[in-house]
Amino acid sequence: MGTASGIIKALNSGVRHIATKRFTFRYPEQKLKFVGDGYQFDPESGVGIAGYKGRHILFHDKCTGCQLCSIACEEIAEAIAMPKVEEEWKHNKKSIMPQIDYGKCVFCGLCVDACPFYALYMTNDYELSSFTKEGLIYTPAQLQVKPQIDQDVEIQIDEKGAKHG
Amino acid sequence: MSGQVYPKDTKVLPGLQLEKVDDRIMTLNVGPQHPGSGHMRIIIKVDGDYIVHCDPDPGYVHRGEEKMAEYRNYITNIPHLERPVIHDSCNILYPYCLGVEELLGIEVSERAKYIRVIAAELNRCVYIQYWLAIYGIFLGHSTMFMWPVGDRELMIDLLDKMTGARVTHAYFVPGGVRNDIPANFEDMCLRQVNYFEKRLKEYADVFYDNPILISRTKDTGVLSREDAIKLGTTGSVLRASGVDFDIRKKEPYDVYEELDFQTNVLKEGDSYARSKIPWLDMLESCRIIRDALQKMPKSGSVRVKLKPKPKAGDTEVYRRVESGRGSLGMHIVSRNNPQPYRLKISVPSFRNLIAMPHLLTGEKLGNLPPVYWSLNYWPVEADR
Repeated sequence: MGTASGIIKALNSGVRHIATKRFTFRYPEQKLKFVGDGYQFDPESGVGIAGYKGRHILFHDKCTGCQLCSIACEEIAEAIAMPKVEEEWKHNKKSIMPQIDYGKCVFCGLCVDACPFYALYMTNDYELSSFTKEGLIYTPAQLQVKPQIDQDVEIQIDEKGAKHG
Repeated sequence: MSGQVYPKDTKVLPGLQLEKVDDRIMTLNVGPQHPGSGHMRIIIKVDGDYIVHCDPDPGYVHRGEEKMAEYRNYITNIPHLERPVIHDSCNILYPYCLGVEELLGIEVSERAKYIRVIAAELNRCVYIQYWLAIYGIFLGHSTMFMWPVGDRELMIDLLDKMTGARVTHAYFVPGGVRNDIPANFEDMCLRQVNYFEKRLKEYADVFYDNPILISRTKDTGVLSREDAIKLGTTGSVLRASGVDFDIRKKEPYDVYEELDFQTNVLKEGDSYARSKIPWLDMLESCRIIRDALQKMPKSGSVRVKLKPKPKAGDTEVYRRVESGRGSLGMHIVSRNNPQPYRLKISVPSFRNLIAMPHLLTGEKLGNLPPVYWSLNYWPVEADR
């Protein structure tokens, strides 16, 4: 192949993309949709359920304060502390629940794998930035809140190419 | 000290050599802050435009992964062990999981093996696209930077749906994988692979068949077959020099022997061949993924339940896999503890680095970027 024809071929390949629709989208206004409600784990079968590993959600009515999540995190990120909570639950005698420092968390989800009581899951929420270090520490009360997220962009790939919809 | 021009009372710190001004040879430090060097320094001596001496200086991102592994148990080792190559995180966990499974005597289910192969091949594509983008931009080809980075994003989205994280998946675990694939994954994956294969052909039009790239990289940094074997290189560097060596074929792990694929070998051994092999590998990965999706059992368990802190006996094991850069091995020594007694990671990047002084000596200084990046070198992995 000659030099000229090679360069024309390369230019032609690029030019063809001028008119095609892009698959990139405007991030803060539009957000990508994930599978499911986040990473969950079924301790009975020992297998997780596919989902995004974002900020955790804690179910206070299920947490027994057994500290297994904290022990799992000890060798990984040391992000989970077990402070005392005001609430009184019959199944949580010590009244302690996980508090997660997202300045340390690596979002591996092994704490979710460690929980035997279906109390700790992960959600699709990944926007956790804060102006202070203290703002990154989520107390049990903050972890209880289900995140309000509006993720609806899906990328469609077909024979013609990729585009977002 | 004939050319000494410094005043006689100049104090020279021990270990620091002052350069003579009228010397012909000049020393250049490429890196560690130069964007083209990665997290490493290459000390080169140039005579005019020619490199007469090259001394790579890695170690700026040493994190002590091997020592850290001795204080964590077999499960909590997973998140930090994938840090050296976050773009190829499935492949760096692969030998670890295979090794620990052998130590603990776990038999992984068939479906989990196929899922692992698919995840590893997707990850290989993600890694190679990232590498290709860097290779493109340092040769001044900005389209080749934009395209792979954009297409890589689609592949990351797919892995995201599968594993739950964009780059550091922590997906492989001794005993299988963390979670089953989502419901419509096979369809999404097939469409992605078909699209990706079409894009790869466009990469060839705009980059690999481009006469400008060919004239830039052909016959630069030629590594002969004998030298490649002697220097102990691996992966794409070895295969570009005409040695047919791929762990997936030579020591098949998991289900690679049941899958239909071939290894790509080129004879030239120059910078162009070394950059083309990963591209051929990506095409091969597409074939593997398609084949694996077809042959995968449609249902079944994907993870073997382990005890909280599994203990292995008084043995040791060495397993290796073919990662995006070459053979990646892990030697795990167990002494009846929940933690490994010793974990040694043999990384392909470090093994390919040894070819750098050999290739660069005698080359022009301008050939440094094409030769350096064609070695498929990842500094963070080499330092562990």
